[in-house]
Amino acid sequence: MKVKGINLGYVTLFSLWFMSFLVYGAPVHPENEFKLKLGVKGQICLKCHETFKETLNRRFVHPLLKKGECTGCHAPHTSSHKSLLNADRAKLCYNCHKEVLPENAGSSHEVVVEGNCKTCHDSHGSNNKFILLKSGNELCFDCHKDMSADVQNVRFKHKSLENGKGCLNCHDPHSSAKSSFLLKSHAPSLCLKCHQTNKASFARKHMNYPVTTADCTSCHNPHGSNNRGIIFDVAHAAVTEGRCTECHRKPTTLETKKKTTQLCRECHQDMVDQTFNKNRVHWPLVDKVGCVNCHDPHATKEKKLLKGSIVSVCGQCHADTVQLQEWSIKNPKNERICEPVKKGNCIACHSPHAADNVLLISQHSVTNDLCSRCHEWETHSTHPIGAKIVDNRNKNLTVECLTCHQACGTSNNPAMLTFSTTHELCIQCHVERIK
Amino acid sequence: MTKMINGSSKILLITAGLLVAVLFFQLPFSEGAMKFRYITSIYADDKGLGLKQPEGVACNGESLLIVADSGNGRLLRYSYKDGATELGTVEIKVDQLSYPIKTEINSTGEIYIFDRKQRSIVRLSPAGELRGYLQPLGLPSPSEYVPRSFTMDRNDNIYILDILSERVLILDPAGRYVHHIKFPQEYGFFSDVAVDFKGTVLIVDVVDGMVFSAGKNSAIFSPLTGSLKEYVRFPASLTTDDRGRIYLVDRNGGSIIILGQDGSFLSRQSGMGWKEGSLNYPGQMCINKKGEIFVADTNNSRVQVFLMVE
Repeated sequence: MKVKGINLGYVTLFSLWFMSFLVYGAPVHPENEFKLKLGVKGQICLKCHETFKETLNRRFVHPLLKKGECTGCHAPHTSSHKSLLNADRAKLCYNCHKEVLPENAGSSHEVVVEGNCKTCHDSHGSNNKFILLKSGNELCFDCHKDMSADVQNVRFKHKSLENGKGCLNCHDPHSSAKSSFLLKSHAPSLCLKCHQTNKASFARKHMNYPVTTADCTSCHNPHGSNNRGIIFDVAHAAVTEGRCTECHRKPTTLETKKKTTQLCRECHQDMVDQTFNKNRVHWPLVDKVGCVNCHDPHATKEKKLLKGSIVSVCGQCHADTVQLQEWSIKNPKNERICEPVKKGNCIACHSPHAADNVLLISQHSVTNDLCSRCHEWETHSTHPIGAKIVDNRNKNLTVECLTCHQACGTSNNPAMLTFSTTHELCIQCHVERIK
Repeated sequence: MTKMINGSSKILLITAGLLVAVLFFQLPFSEGAMKFRYITSIYADDKGLGLKQPEGVACNGESLLIVADSGNGRLLRYSYKDGATELGTVEIKVDQLSYPIKTEINSTGEIYIFDRKQRSIVRLSPAGELRGYLQPLGLPSPSEYVPRSFTMDRNDNIYILDILSERVLILDPAGRYVHHIKFPQEYGFFSDVAVDFKGTVLIVDVVDGMVFSAGKNSAIFSPLTGSLKEYVRFPASLTTDDRGRIYLVDRNGGSIIILGQDGSFLSRQSGMGWKEGSLNYPGQMCINKKGEIFVADTNNSRVQVFLMVE
């Protein structure tokens, strides 16, 4: 039916839509996909989840919860995820907070990468800023317990750890765009934000050497130490005693007087002579970097001025062997793992500078001089072992501990045996037993 | 009967036959089909004194085989023919050699040995008499060098892997400096050098498991391969054959990795063990003109001989 060219059907439809708009509000918007009545969003949930009324009274509340947008994170009816979450817990937060984990970050906090945001944050609300579970360093030290003990027990503390944002003065809790260890920037630029280098005292303390471009953490422990000037606990005597000129030229440059091992030899003559008198010098000792391949010339946390733990230093080049050591530690079949392997103490058996023996093994006889320190090999089993027992496969070899065991570890074998089963091991020599 | 097989059936049958033939014949001759066939092991000298952790072997085109018997601080000169060593092994003991680990023979039969304790290269006459240390002449600055390894090409030019000044020094047969090739900017640790039949210089990075190459007149090495850690644990030594194939000796893995001229992986041979045919911390290997492969099987205190079968 038409009245002067106007289709009455369309008019009626439009009128109905307009009336429904007045009564029920705007058409269903994606943000209101559950077609909830106006003003009732969070209220409906709180009818049952009463404890959240307390959460809403906290000083800092998640903006979605504050707006009553429970459905921003939860599905009200069904979900494939725990707590009726809209997505996997590890991914949910990143729907909105992508910026905390940028691509190609210099370093990232493990819990952030794993999506374990709840390790640090209460997802609903907290009395701490950024809805954190705890405030200040207390939160960080919940996980980094060793660091907590170190920081609290040292004689000389780094003030920035105790003032202001504490750990967060230097570290970004989520990720660092360019720096390692979640640092806000590299040393020295990070350190120079607080430490003024133009003061006379700064120059005096550094013996007038141009250290403003050097890595401060090559000498100073940013978490505090027992040495004045928070120099790392294990420090080269020349550093703590201010004898920089023993190694470096005039204070106009950081250049050293000699290069590589030749410089260290100036003081450590006997040690270097003994090393060079062995059949096999560890090759890195005589390359362009020399002693500094493994040792820090100034100060470190590790004994003997090592750059890191023994296993990590050795693992710089011998990653394949350290992999065996790691597998052996994790292998449940290895009930009694060799202690040095367990501790990653490679130098219990190897001489890191030089040795007369293959693989830089420190003693002539592995069985008599190394394994016997801990193992009573003569009573170990009824199997004959020792320098007088010739290996029946090869007259140039004798039956030693290493005939059956892999001293650095194995991928998946029990008791660090060379083969995965005892049978397989034994038939290597006892061929007559194969059938 | 033949009449019953129509045209399209014939085509099908021929195709199926071809497929079977391809499958049957192609598999053994694919790239992975290169195999070492174990020939024999050398355990001792003529007097019965056993080898002790030998690290070096050198062979010429004929029957000459030199073994650097490192643990005994000596060289052994064998004549190897028809799958066995002949009587008349010569023991070469020189005061200047404490711990020989690598050896090469030049075209005149002179023996060059790298001594690990002294970190120097010693020259011996074909009969084993001392001719002196190899002292590079006319080295440009920096004149300091520490050899880690060395090799020689067909023209007796000498290539020294200098880990102190990060370069490969190229010397003429008289030991005069000719040229040097710098190490690349980024690397782990270079442990050996080889030269192929075209004169391409190769060095192996034992830490990163990579091979780098350079033309004889190049200024700097560039990567020939990516990381080969998938195939190799600790490639401490390398050599090449007449066809330009590259052989990496995997010291910790007890095996030999074979690469094509372009660095592509071809095959992995032998494996860690004690039985004949297996290797335990192998050192240097060499290949003679007959294609016989000699490997210093260091921790098994023997030299093993293989033949390449394709």
